[in-house]
Amino acid sequence: MFELSTDVGNLKELREGDFSAYDAIYLGDFSCPEYPNNFSSHAELLEAGLQHVHARGQKAYLRLYAVPGNDDLAWVGDVIDTALQLPFDALEVHNLGVLRMLRERGCTAPIHLGVFGNLYTHETAKVLKDFGVTRVYPNPELSLDEVRYIAEHADVEVLVPVHGKIPLVISETCFILEHSEDGAEGACGDGSCSYQCTQDHWLKRGRGDGSRADWSLKDTGRMTLSGKDLCMVEHGGRLADMGLKHFYVHNKGEAPGYAAAVGRIYRDALTRAFAGEAAPDFTPALDALAGLAREGLCNGYYFEGAGQRYIGRS
Amino acid sequence: MVKLLAPAGSLEMARAAVDEGADIIYVGPLGFSRRPYESEMSDDAIREAAAYARVGGAELRVVLNTFPTPYDFGRFVDKAVRYAADGASGFIVTDVGLMRALRREIPDTVLHVSIGSGISNLADAAFYRDAGADVIILPYRWDVAEIESVRRASDIGLETFLFETVQTGKLCPGKCIMSSYLRFRDWLEVEGSRDFHGSANRGAKECYRVCQANWEFGAAGADPVEIKLRRDARLMLAQLPGFVAAGVTCFKLSGRERPVGMIRDLVRFYRRAIDEVVAGASDLDHHAAELAELRGRWVREKAKRVDTLMDRAAGYVG
Repeated sequence: MFELSTDVGNLKELREGDFSAYDAIYLGDFSCPEYPNNFSSHAELLEAGLQHVHARGQKAYLRLYAVPGNDDLAWVGDVIDTALQLPFDALEVHNLGVLRMLRERGCTAPIHLGVFGNLYTHETAKVLKDFGVTRVYPNPELSLDEVRYIAEHADVEVLVPVHGKIPLVISETCFILEHSEDGAEGACGDGSCSYQCTQDHWLKRGRGDGSRADWSLKDTGRMTLSGKDLCMVEHGGRLADMGLKHFYVHNKGEAPGYAAAVGRIYRDALTRAFAGEAAPDFTPALDALAGLAREGLCNGYYFEGAGQRYIGRS
Repeated sequence: MVKLLAPAGSLEMARAAVDEGADIIYVGPLGFSRRPYESEMSDDAIREAAAYARVGGAELRVVLNTFPTPYDFGRFVDKAVRYAADGASGFIVTDVGLMRALRREIPDTVLHVSIGSGISNLADAAFYRDAGADVIILPYRWDVAEIESVRRASDIGLETFLFETVQTGKLCPGKCIMSSYLRFRDWLEVEGSRDFHGSANRGAKECYRVCQANWEFGAAGADPVEIKLRRDARLMLAQLPGFVAAGVTCFKLSGRERPVGMIRDLVRFYRRAIDEVVAGASDLDHHAAELAELRGRWVREKAKRVDTLMDRAAGYVG
């Protein structure tokens, strides 16, 4: 009927968390190879992660590093070589050079294009299908109508994020480390990471007197996320009517328990929507989701506006 | 052959750049090149700039580096075909689908991969070569060794901005949608109507350069520091000989939104410097005083522009 997926960075989080609301798990943190025991950069952990997910009847997708420099290509290649020996249900790429590497290695597993793959049109999706891409994550700037257009005109699966902080920027170095007292400038990647990203970091631009716009963004070091949590819980019926089937909850940078709580709410809402039930009172769900979102909720760009706006169903 | 690629944000700037010796000028059609409309050009002006370049012995490239929408894709291709007929010898493009379409429709044109494509490694270069590109713009972070490595791996043309290499900070090209997360605006009448409300990446408004504004940054509960998200780019000179030796064949001067007088002076300066390097010079220290003066002007103009953009952003609703 539909697929609901989320992401988990490493084996510890996978074992300790409750991801039972999800049909599929994207394994790995595509933004930071230094993230502790990241599936995306630890080939030796792939088999254990895959087995854990498959044992629960879920699909396992492996995320590959999104912004490899030349020095990273060798180890990314090692991760790919290991992954291709395992029964992953798909590999996710963000970088077109890595996509080419997969083709060179004869990858026959489905390939998903990730959020930083810059997918804006059905024509681009057709080009990437020639490289084995079967699912695309359209750029978050696209509206729901544009997302549907791509799905229909490129004959490709589209991943539709329904909740969580939207990835806005990715960089090859760690902003937190560069500006911390412990980390000398340029130390990122030299093995001296002190994992300060385990604490929430925020970028704020605002004035109490309102003379400057009140903006906030969350920063995980190598990636900047929306301050607000994308929330589409009120719009499940519309998503179902549009023929969209693959939904996703962003979990990167969130506290333990976030994915479980959000997943339960969306599992219920989407199940009802796809069964054609009348829309319920969403107040309890919205209250619960707002309680998990320090800076509030937004709809992203789905309704043709700036990403941080929120538009209710009514 | 080492070429100097210069900005033409207006017809006046196009003429100045050609007069000062640019090998190639680049122009952006209204709404299709990630700049405010003041730095883009109408189709008539583009045609005139192409004619001026041709007479002056220069080429003209058209920047089509916004991402099309699904509905807009055909319009991008139609415009490109028309510009080619009007004398454009190539295009600067971001989207892979558009790249394939232009290669099919205009087989002999020169296709540059825009900085917005977010290339980060030599496998990317190979991908874009396969996709039909002739030239890639190199990442801001790359030094001579990395340029040499891609030179060995691919025959694709190598282009670099005339900025010094930087290794820290958030480098956004092709990987940033911060601006549109914070503010959107509809099209202005001068930009013509389109089928969507958009973002900087799609041409419907300028990027507000929020990464160059001051932000407060810190861990939750700790005292924040005031900070910019990236370093200001510095005009490059000392690296020129090394880059040429490593195989860079095209140097791009940024600045369609700058004053015409500044671009005129910069094109004149870099024309001389590149010619010296091509003639065998490896030391450009004698240009230090002039470079310092140009850098100062560059930074002052940049600060003015960021302030203007942020003021505009604050004025838009939603």
